[in-house]
Amino acid sequence: MKNFIKKHHLTPRPLEPYKLSDKTQTNRMDNRTLIIGLGNTILSDDGAGILVAREIKNRCQGLPNLDVVEASLGGIGLLDLMAGYERVIIVDSIKTDESNPGEIYRLSVEDLGDTSSYPCGPHFLDVRTAIELGKTLGYTMPETIDIFAISIKDNTTFSETLTPEVEKSIPELVTVIIEDCGLTK
Amino acid sequence: MGKKITINPVTRLEGHGKIDIFLNDNGDVEDAYFQVTELRGFEKFCIGRPAEEMPRIVPNICGVCPTPHNMASTKALDHIYGVAPTPTAKLVRKLQYNANYIEDHYIHFFFLGGPDFVVGPDANPAERNILGVINKVGLDIAKKVIDVRKRTRDIIRLIASKPAHPEGGLPGGVPRGIKEEERKPIIETANLCVEFAQFALQLFKDAVLGNKTYLDLILGEPYNLKTYYMAIVDEYNKQNYYEGMIRVIDPNGKEVAFFHPRDYIDYIGEWIEPWTYIRLTYLRKLGWKGLIEGDDTSLYRVGPLARFNVADGMATPLAQKEYEYMASVVGKPAHHTLAYHWARLIEALQAAEDMQKIANDPLLTSKDIRNMNFQFTGKGIGCVEACRGVLIHDYETDDRGLISKVNLIVATQHNAAPISLSVKKAAQAFIKGGEVKEGMLNMAEMAFRAYDPCLGCATHTLPGKMPLVINIHDYTGNVIKTISRGA
Repeated sequence: MKNFIKKHHLTPRPLEPYKLSDKTQTNRMDNRTLIIGLGNTILSDDGAGILVAREIKNRCQGLPNLDVVEASLGGIGLLDLMAGYERVIIVDSIKTDESNPGEIYRLSVEDLGDTSSYPCGPHFLDVRTAIELGKTLGYTMPETIDIFAISIKDNTTFSETLTPEVEKSIPELVTVIIEDCGLTK
Repeated sequence: MGKKITINPVTRLEGHGKIDIFLNDNGDVEDAYFQVTELRGFEKFCIGRPAEEMPRIVPNICGVCPTPHNMASTKALDHIYGVAPTPTAKLVRKLQYNANYIEDHYIHFFFLGGPDFVVGPDANPAERNILGVINKVGLDIAKKVIDVRKRTRDIIRLIASKPAHPEGGLPGGVPRGIKEEERKPIIETANLCVEFAQFALQLFKDAVLGNKTYLDLILGEPYNLKTYYMAIVDEYNKQNYYEGMIRVIDPNGKEVAFFHPRDYIDYIGEWIEPWTYIRLTYLRKLGWKGLIEGDDTSLYRVGPLARFNVADGMATPLAQKEYEYMASVVGKPAHHTLAYHWARLIEALQAAEDMQKIANDPLLTSKDIRNMNFQFTGKGIGCVEACRGVLIHDYETDDRGLISKVNLIVATQHNAAPISLSVKKAAQAFIKGGEVKEGMLNMAEMAFRAYDPCLGCATHTLPGKMPLVINIHDYTGNVIKTISRGA
């Protein structure tokens, strides 16, 4: 058995009773920051964003007004997570022809292209369209959205191991985010 | 610190929603091939892991169908452990599964398929998306869509911990039952879903069927594809998404196969072609006959249109009325690819009605949620109707219950060859004598969007879109034109 069962899976989660949806998306949680680690930890480098978020969570324990979540979601799922926060930091992987594996990027929402393009599937609604959708629906969307990413090599092989170049960059990106975003006590 | 960049979408098109169209020496469309990303090494990844881990692993292999993968895997565990879920456990599973159907079908209709019709097939792509739909139907309707989605996802979360990638899945049962105090809000959600399903169907009738241009498009030859069809049916040959026998009909509607999903290997063949990573499926008893349609094909389709064609009707009364109306308009079997959208909305109504029935069932809140009378078999095949079609998980284990073999057959695999044919037919209408008419990309997109194919399973790498690129090749194979979207 490989090291698949992570501790967070084994921790019993309190199950809340089913209740009808509330409307909390329109309430602003002042000064609250959310870090979203995006990716898939069983698809090689695709899990890089999640691993970075986990490490930030470890190093920033006790920091007030900070939440850290892991997600394997597209845009509309991100909308659920982001609504209400004043600031959101997304950590993901990135793949382009110009970059080398392990390089670190800081992007703005505008860098992701405009909403005029049409994705092949609704499940892959892009971040920018999700934000526009949230605003249209009257949700309180974050005032600031920062996007950090590690350039990756392989996101199509089932594995829980990162390629060496990407693995080396994880601590660097953790430090960059903590320092650049002022996540210190 | 790295540089700030603006991503050129062309840089990550390879393998994502790629279509190659080949012209003959007259410049007319000879062939079209639809390709998706190849994910490697899944069986190797699973081998040696306890079978009980599979329902938690498999939702992560697909960003589109996590709940169906979770459910098919759980049913495979039932088989491995030789145990059937208790009646209450089955109700809870079906409650979860119906919630998934409702959410998934509406996300598809309002975010992907709907914009083609509600906003218009010729509309500016900048408006042909969910934001354009909101402009057309109004903000209140959009809020209802989001509300229905949230409530149904809350049900999945309640039962299986996480709505996007369920973590529950136990042989012979469910990890959590339903408390009596949870019944009332579940009933309210089910009632809301039934009401919304009827609204969505009315919207389809008004916006699509009421527009002659759109109706002609649905019924037109470019979107007509004559194939066999495969789907699960219940004991009355009505639609069932959770369990039943697999029925196959020929292009004229005649039943040609009826088998237990565990016998799938006798009926479904897998074929490897050099142009795709997907193992294409075909009807094994007919043999592989290539990418052809009509009476001589061995290709079949799955998903909403296939379920409409294969079943004798719907399992719930309101959905049955809608089914009869659809049959009166498109006929049966209907080969109109764009009718997938209509069938999808009727299915959401059946799922909502079934959810209503389950929510009111006294057995739902019983504490008898686990059958532990295990009789280990070492082999498990689980099958469900995923929203996109028949989904089969086939596992073998050693005598310790550790996985030794895995085979998955997913909906997009069944539909991959027909999608190529559908794109080819749509392209034929827009490419003549080597000239690519304006609108070809839209029409080709509409052809494959109807199937709602899974593209980049579970990869979420930025920029977060699954762009489409169409390469048009001349008769020598050289690319003479590339059209892309996703910038």
